[in-house]
Amino acid sequence: MSSLATEAAAPPAPAPTPPRPRRRRFPTVPWLLLSGSILILGVLTGYPVVRMLVMSFQEYERAQVMGMPAEWVGLDNYVAILTDSGFWEVLGRSIVFMVVAVTLTMVLGTLVALLMMRLGRKMRLLVSVGLLLAWSMPPLSSTTIWGWIFDTEYGLVNNLLTRITGDRWFGHSWLLDPLGFFTILTFIIVWGAIPFVAFTMYAGLSQIPGEVLEAAQLDGAGPFARFRLVMLPYVRTIVTVLVVLSMIWDLKVFPQVYALQDIGGDREKTNTIGVYIYQMGMGQGHFGMASAIAFVFVAIMLLLSVYYVRRTIKEEEL
Amino acid sequence: MGAATHRTDITGKTERNDFVRKNRLVAVTAAASMTMALGACSSGAEAGDGDGGPATGEVRVWLVGTDTPDEARDYLKKTFEEQNEGSTLVIEEQAWDGLVDKYTTALAGSDAPDVVEVGNTQASAFTSNGYFSEITAEEFEELGGSDLLPGFVEAGDWEGAHYALPYYAGSRAVFYSPQLVDAEPPATLDEYVETAKGLYDEGKFSGVWWPGQDWYNALPFIWENGGYIAEQADDGTWEAGFSSEGGIAGLTQIQDLMLNASNAPKDGQETDLQVPFCEGKIGYLSAPTWIQWSINAPEEPETEDGVPGCASTYGGDLEAFALPGKDGGAAQVFAGGSNIAIAQKSEHRDLAYEALKIMLSDEYQSILAGIGLIPAKVSLAGEVPQDTSIGAAGVEAAANAKLTPATPKWADVEAQTVLQTQFTRLANGEDVEQVAADLDAEIESILNG
Repeated sequence: MSSLATEAAAPPAPAPTPPRPRRRRFPTVPWLLLSGSILILGVLTGYPVVRMLVMSFQEYERAQVMGMPAEWVGLDNYVAILTDSGFWEVLGRSIVFMVVAVTLTMVLGTLVALLMMRLGRKMRLLVSVGLLLAWSMPPLSSTTIWGWIFDTEYGLVNNLLTRITGDRWFGHSWLLDPLGFFTILTFIIVWGAIPFVAFTMYAGLSQIPGEVLEAAQLDGAGPFARFRLVMLPYVRTIVTVLVVLSMIWDLKVFPQVYALQDIGGDREKTNTIGVYIYQMGMGQGHFGMASAIAFVFVAIMLLLSVYYVRRTIKEEEL
Repeated sequence: MGAATHRTDITGKTERNDFVRKNRLVAVTAAASMTMALGACSSGAEAGDGDGGPATGEVRVWLVGTDTPDEARDYLKKTFEEQNEGSTLVIEEQAWDGLVDKYTTALAGSDAPDVVEVGNTQASAFTSNGYFSEITAEEFEELGGSDLLPGFVEAGDWEGAHYALPYYAGSRAVFYSPQLVDAEPPATLDEYVETAKGLYDEGKFSGVWWPGQDWYNALPFIWENGGYIAEQADDGTWEAGFSSEGGIAGLTQIQDLMLNASNAPKDGQETDLQVPFCEGKIGYLSAPTWIQWSINAPEEPETEDGVPGCASTYGGDLEAFALPGKDGGAAQVFAGGSNIAIAQKSEHRDLAYEALKIMLSDEYQSILAGIGLIPAKVSLAGEVPQDTSIGAAGVEAAANAKLTPATPKWADVEAQTVLQTQFTRLANGEDVEQVAADLDAEIESILNG
């Protein structure tokens, strides 16, 4: 799987000749065209990754940032992390959050896509504009606004609840309880992620030939059966890619958690892996340790995505 | 997901395979760019030439927050550009939020500012790691020498050398409006607690305003009850003292106020305090003295980025007193404030020093004193207007101010928001002794780590 990473970043190594019957000569032009982006990826992605790997084996603190020579500590950083219960707690929390967020995003996004297929032109345009607006909102702005909505003293939610129930909701903190914090975080993340899933699913679903669905209907397939047995298989690759991407995005989520922790809540009980790495590195200046955590994290993510992608390919090639 | 075993054979197979392959690349690239985002913590630090820059140039001064008044900013820029013909001075305002994180990278990069303000408790994270340019003994004498606030000079020293000098000290006072609190200022800390609890009306009126993340206001209660944050033993290890007898007594008193005198959000921050105060919801507000300018401000801000106050209602007759101590007099309060330093990577150290000289000049410091900040020079303390109760309270409190433990690791305790997190638990009604034990364990692990 590490070969996948190098495949993306390595300089124009011998091109992988496709094991297809059709013979082709060395594709000079494509590689030439690719060289620009490979160079940029190498500088912007490749170098930092290598640097991070190197740092994860060093004792790298603030003084080293200012030019002090770094000391090699071998696997010490990794040992320290993997034996720290705090790390596993944060990782477990991130994974549970990711599973919930991805499931919700996929289900709701698909429902919106199905809805869009049935809407008339005008309503569909309206829904698309709404989705685009949600999608184009920078995460920091949306988190701040969600924070206002759930504000303890002046929030919309507390105000509405007070009016509806007649009880006093002012002063009720939604973020204080970690479960409440993650519920609101899930709102923010899922709300922001649905548009991408909905658009992509809509694009995929609308490519399914109408006659196939009609035939299925004539054969007596109900709406749910048509969705499960006809539509889903058509868009399975799209679903896989969406799931993998969502998993990666929701695992590494940073600005929303960071900003929300600023608004309220108990940091210790709401840290996710992205924020944890930031705190370790930028906050406390333990860059070596932070790099090591980041690397462990990358390995876990690659494993997750490789598993999914490989399974799909296998199914395709049966 | 998508584990459908039913396969239809309608779309072109090769096309789908290509799709998968492309997206495998997308997934891997996405994973890799994520790594980049997380790993791009530090960019390589190249050695910059510390001295011998050109005679003229642009000096960038980083001030934090809005504490420095516009009058002082204008004075600094004008004076500097008069004295150093051909050079310019730019002030760039930074935010207190995440300052240590920002300086860690910004001061190490090739585009570092020249003069930087830093919180006094944060200074040691940088002085101990070579981020600031050393202030020589001659320069130190020229800038004020022994006239500079001793506690703040100490906060900016590292291994016997000066790196960051005092900029100003803040002071905390307890504000109230006589329209809302019809009582003489309490004489002792216990009386303060009792009065505040008496003023409290659940959900409507707060005796004191205590957002859960506010730890600055908590320290006096620890100190006055005989507790301490952390003390260094003879062997150099730090021992935290929240679980000490005095610490527990202080925390108990704090929790009493949080639960029985305050309607503030249990996980809130100590920001925009003028808003609830102006609503008439607060009896006693313990805050830095500059908060008076936010409260006693017109309802319609005069400037574009101004904040609305309530000069015509509760702000108009604002009064203040110094937080009383356990046995009367002023309590030991947290000495907030700022230090100022020249960045190690400043391209024009000579010019930066000139700017520093202006900022520590009597004229500049008098402007700061004029708005109620405690100036960096002891001899200028008289410049703080004391004709109001607020000015007097500020000076009285500053005389008895204390600092956080003197170790570079303390900045990590702050960056990790250990105190904010634990005090939030306290506000939430959790067991005092448990919170104290957790506080001590976390602080010790950072300070001794």
